[in-house]
Amino acid sequence: MQIEIKDLSYVYGKKTPFEKAALHGVSLTVSEGDSVGIIGSTGSGKSTLIQHLNGLIKLQSGSLKVFDIDLSAKKPDYKTLRKKLGMLFQYPEYQLFADTVEADVKFGPVNFGFSKEDADKAAKEAIEMVGLDYDEVKDRSPLELSGGQKRRAAIAGILACRPEILVLDEPTAGLDPAGKKDMLDLIRSLKGSFLKSVITVSHNMDEIAEYCDRVILLHDGVLLSDATPTELFYGEDVEKYGLSLPHVVKIVKLLRDKGVVIPEVLNEKDLVKELKLYLERGRKNA
Amino acid sequence: MRDVAFGQYYPSNSVLHKADPRTKLIAGIVYIVAVFLCDSYWSYLACFSFLLIACLVSKVPLKSILKSIKAVLFVVLITVIINVFCYKTGTVLWSWWILTVTDGGLIFASKMAMRLIFLVVSTSLITFTTTPVTLTDGLESLLTPLKWIKFPVHDVAIIMSIALRFIPSFTEEIDKIMMAQKARGACFDNGNIFKRAKALLPVLIPLFVSAFRRADELAMAMDARCYNATDKRTKMKRLKFAWRDLFLALATAVFLALIIMLKCGFFGLL
Ligand SMILES: Nc1ncnc2c1ncn2[C@@H]1O[C@H](COP(=O)(O)OP(=O)(O)OP(=O)(O)O)[C@@H](O)[C@H]1O
Ligand SMILES: [Mg+2]
Repeated sequence: MQIEIKDLSYVYGKKTPFEKAALHGVSLTVSEGDSVGIIGSTGSGKSTLIQHLNGLIKLQSGSLKVFDIDLSAKKPDYKTLRKKLGMLFQYPEYQLFADTVEADVKFGPVNFGFSKEDADKAAKEAIEMVGLDYDEVKDRSPLELSGGQKRRAAIAGILACRPEILVLDEPTAGLDPAGKKDMLDLIRSLKGSFLKSVITVSHNMDEIAEYCDRVILLHDGVLLSDATPTELFYGEDVEKYGLSLPHVVKIVKLLRDKGVVIPEVLNEKDLVKELKLYLERGRKNA
Repeated sequence: MRDVAFGQYYPSNSVLHKADPRTKLIAGIVYIVAVFLCDSYWSYLACFSFLLIACLVSKVPLKSILKSIKAVLFVVLITVIINVFCYKTGTVLWSWWILTVTDGGLIFASKMAMRLIFLVVSTSLITFTTTPVTLTDGLESLLTPLKWIKFPVHDVAIIMSIALRFIPSFTEEIDKIMMAQKARGACFDNGNIFKRAKALLPVLIPLFVSAFRRADELAMAMDARCYNATDKRTKMKRLKFAWRDLFLALATAVFLALIIMLKCGFFGLL
């Protein structure tokens, strides 16, 4: 078990007039190899939940264990935790600060005590991993890069630390369609190397349906469902919670309404395959 | 970052919250003048009671008010220490090397400390009970006479209200950037002062970058809506004096009169 959350609750601005409960008794576990998606309408507590995972938010009630590091302890080992659990924030390009892209990417490894050679090597590999041209960008200021390149540089800064778990808060927000796909494919391709599990917060149901094998649904700080994408999107009425269905699921539902017999598929490729099978069956029967 | 109590609005529906910002500003200035007129213990007691009543009326919890004192405690302490050692009248209580402590010094230092605390509490009481926007509206209205000497009152007011408006955005932004850098192993709370200052660079640089970006965007948005700072601008919410303002003004006037009487020793007995 890599992450174990039990009965986690959190209130912002406790004992002030601005008090706001963000999480109510959330429990879940993540094991090695999981690809977990977290969905929920705005303000449902997704960011609050994931910020707990590497101790950026102090535990108020409940218990939380990540890699056997107990976050309810008095002084948890944050350094190890944050090295092993990388976190990419919403719009991470705003965290870039160093003079050069290379220095920025090295910021994490240096903080985590990599030796100079290791840090250089990790930075180079990470920059190449995210699809930037190392020799071209390494000496440029991160502020000169385009939006998409900045996002890549920010991700490189996280990947250079070689995290075992990667937590992404809306990694594709504000990217063009090709950029979105590149990003998700990159993360998928990394899984299985140093990266063991991925947790993604997203408002894009298509991405969740395609890239996650488990989906957690939050609503007003309560965990409503923890299921596979098929179970969730075909079993629950997610539209009730201000979310939409992945478009493939919408099409399948429309087809079923018209009497087409088709199994529960989640991506376009499977949909096309099933439709073709269905048509062939129809032709045979005719 | 969000725990900065000093100068933060505390929503409630007390008389002080509803009062006109101009009344509160003038009462605040009068109070500060009164505090500096104080010399006898009785006048300090009067200042303290007036402030305490104001705090109670405002319904702001005492805890929040105490927090605002905490923010300046360091300054108060320094003042006390300097005054204790530099004010050398009265009988010597203790002396060592060049340092001497006299009873006069002790009394003077404690009076200074009280003055400072009164100042801080009274001004934060104004900001606790007035939203920043109302406060600048009040200030703008009070400064209107300066227009005669061609002082750009409105521009200054709009600059102030924009600055105030962005304080919460910035604290939020700082929070976010700090979190992002902490996630990359940055550490802000150990090492000596130089180390800490250096550790703040990864926060300050993105903060400035985003501040300039925001300023640019705001200027553009204001331009797009044809903002111009001419005299003819009207207000959506106009300030109006009400009965409670008269009452507050009277209370402050009585208080000031009391302090002046105490100062001039009308009660020769005291
Ligand atoms: N720093 C904060 N101070 C006070 N309240 C906060 C803070 N951050 C979040 N909240 C509140 O807590 C609740 C949960 O916020 P959170 O950011 O976790 O939502 P989210 O699911 O990530 O939303 P989004 O999809 O918009 O990112 C919201 O109601 C929000 O207003
Ligand atoms: Mg969020």
